[in-house]
Amino acid sequence: MHTYLGRRLLSGFITLLGVVVVVFFMSRLTGSPIDLFFPEGAEPAQIEAFNKAYGLDKPLVQQFGIFLLNVAQGDFGTSIWQQRPAMEAALSEMPMTLLLASIAMTISVLVALLLGSLAAVYRFRTVDRTITILSLMTSSMPHFWFALVGILIFAVQLRVLPTSGSNNWLSWVLPVATVSIGPIGVLTQVVRGAMIDVLSSGYVRNARARGFSARRVVYRHALRNAALPIISVAGDIAAGMVNGAVIVSVVFAFPGIGRLIVGAILNRDYPVLEASVVVVGVSIILLNLLIDIICSIVDPRIRLN
Amino acid sequence: MKRGIISSMIGMAGLATMMTAVPASAATSNKAITVVLAVELDSLDPCDTQPAQNANVVRGNIFESLTHVSPVSGKIEPLLADSWKQVSDKEWEFKLKKGVKFHDGTDFNAAAAAANIMRTQGGPSYAGLACLNSGQIPDPVKAEAVDDLTLKVTTTVVDPILPLRLSYVDIGDLASQTKAAKVLNAVGTGPYKFVSRKQGDSVKLTRFDGYWGTAPQIKDVTYIVRKEATVRASMVETGEAQIALSIQAQDATDDGRTVTFKDNRIFVMRPMTFKEPFKDPRVRQALSYAVDRDTIVPAILGVTGAPYYQMLGPQVNAYLPDYDAKSAMKYNPAKAKELIAAAKADGHPVETPIDIITRPDILPDGGELVQAIAQNLKEVGLKVNIRSMENTAWREFLRQPFPPEQPATLQMISHDNTSGDASFSFPKYITCKGINSAICNPEIDKLIAEAEVAAGDKRAELYRKASEILYKEAGFIGLAEQIRLIMLAEGVEYKANPLSGLEIRIADVRLKD
Repeated sequence: MHTYLGRRLLSGFITLLGVVVVVFFMSRLTGSPIDLFFPEGAEPAQIEAFNKAYGLDKPLVQQFGIFLLNVAQGDFGTSIWQQRPAMEAALSEMPMTLLLASIAMTISVLVALLLGSLAAVYRFRTVDRTITILSLMTSSMPHFWFALVGILIFAVQLRVLPTSGSNNWLSWVLPVATVSIGPIGVLTQVVRGAMIDVLSSGYVRNARARGFSARRVVYRHALRNAALPIISVAGDIAAGMVNGAVIVSVVFAFPGIGRLIVGAILNRDYPVLEASVVVVGVSIILLNLLIDIICSIVDPRIRLN
Repeated sequence: MKRGIISSMIGMAGLATMMTAVPASAATSNKAITVVLAVELDSLDPCDTQPAQNANVVRGNIFESLTHVSPVSGKIEPLLADSWKQVSDKEWEFKLKKGVKFHDGTDFNAAAAAANIMRTQGGPSYAGLACLNSGQIPDPVKAEAVDDLTLKVTTTVVDPILPLRLSYVDIGDLASQTKAAKVLNAVGTGPYKFVSRKQGDSVKLTRFDGYWGTAPQIKDVTYIVRKEATVRASMVETGEAQIALSIQAQDATDDGRTVTFKDNRIFVMRPMTFKEPFKDPRVRQALSYAVDRDTIVPAILGVTGAPYYQMLGPQVNAYLPDYDAKSAMKYNPAKAKELIAAAKADGHPVETPIDIITRPDILPDGGELVQAIAQNLKEVGLKVNIRSMENTAWREFLRQPFPPEQPATLQMISHDNTSGDASFSFPKYITCKGINSAICNPEIDKLIAEAEVAAGDKRAELYRKASEILYKEAGFIGLAEQIRLIMLAEGVEYKANPLSGLEIRIADVRLKD
């Protein structure tokens, strides 16, 4: 187990290094902060002083070297946009993103397990067909459209939810629904497929022959063995939720790392962009590690191999 | 007397006709409102109030200037200055208002005014801070305090519109103008003082009890940002916000709560005249003849736009009143094809691909409008590609110096001029050395140089002559006059005016009991 974990940690570290390199150079492609912070025809001396203050006056390779040295010490510099440590800005937004992703993921998995299992048990019957059609619809539904329609129905017409913001628990409903709607569809399909495979296997038939109740057969025997593909796909989706939620930040002005990243790009705030992407990268690497550990616990063959 | 000249110069009759009176101040109350914006402000510095997203929050609320353009008459009015006079060609004297205090309790005086004016210029900056307003004073001036309430401003060139220029110099307490304060603090003299800012979330203001003028009715103001126009409109519908800016046509209501205003914002295209095929004016003129504005503008922009042929709005002194009726190059595809064929016959490579440079946010529904324009241009035989890009990349194509490898470009621009004076547009956009200019015509340069030192009717006449040459040369081609929408919640009274795109004075907003 330790060797397995060590290997996963090493590959995670290499991935993180790649993220650090890519984010440094990609952030420079967003354009220069000079265009935002200085008027047309600004004095070269002013621009020079600004570049010097943020280390942008040095050759790119030298900037990269300094960046790597600072990152090794956990220093991402000071935000050009917010005038505070970049890492502080990134870390302050992460809890909301993690909370939103956790709630959305929990709801997605629970709903998908229920619907996917039902569809598998009643395969090719009306229940299965209805669930399949609905899950295909939700997985292919544009999030942006769903968010706006949700606002128009639940906030404007029915007046039961706020349009946006994050002032109270009601304001979480539409963002969570928007983030969950796609994953529910995808995971329902995955659960259905995995359960159909497992329900037709010998040990399930054996369990039924021994007279176990249908519920016990499904939830204790079949579901556990169908868990591996479900966990793998759920892990990928969870990583996407941490990384993304940009739609939620744009439409609902919901706080989180997505909103910070969008703001950092628009404000050419390299330090905050770099710190945010690295924080997201670390979160995804840790999440993947967690998924791997769970998979290895569920199926010991994984760690043995 | 000078004030009279200046006033008449920009006291545009048209401006007055489209404006409505600002509501009278009501008694104070403890009421609060929320204003939902489309773009977050990026600076609280009084020297950064040129971008609309900053001005929307701080101008007229936190910060005030020495002079002010009246949204009712279009004339220059006193604000923090009580009066002014032109002592000599290059020297002005301003008498400042007594008893004005900054929000931190310090006195506003001539020294503070002088320091803010000096800062609003190019050159070495105050405390290492840049100033986005510096373009408003193109030629250096020297401002100095004569006594506590007397300010002397000396210009390096004759500048008859100095009082107008000073309406763009917002006055802040210098102690608040530091790097951190640029984003986290603002100390002005206006009716509202800054309370807090949470970046990416909100800005809060509250009524300044020591305000020198009439106290506004509303006590607390919260500004929030919602990027989606539908969400902004929905917030007003549900009562979560009381005022929503930048509303799109499809979200507008017809019950009087959606108010419209024109702020001299024109959607134009700028051909790069230094590159083929646009070196030949006939090809540029063909662009204008090719675009069917009467069909595509109403169809796509609805109530938010109207067909237009000039670069500057009807309230600007360079506007040509008879141009649309007599000389405008209106939709005539046959004429466009004929001009292109003639240019080709003379050896101009008219088949050169043309890049249309635009931005997704250039105006509401701008993407569809640009596609329709591109289709019109293709129909007359031009090869066009649409390149929609983010603001910074778009600006690189806009500004000089243009890289030699820059292809033939047709830059889409949404240009506004709320001052009423063409000096805020022409020098930058159509002179040989103008930073945003893609045309060089010595005759235009000469007219503009003469206009800069002229006043009143003479100044307007010179600008109009420059306009005539510009449009004949098709150096700038007007497409649509933009009409902007603000949505108000039930019980909110606000009379939009041509300055509403830049400043929403909360003191002008009234809540019904």
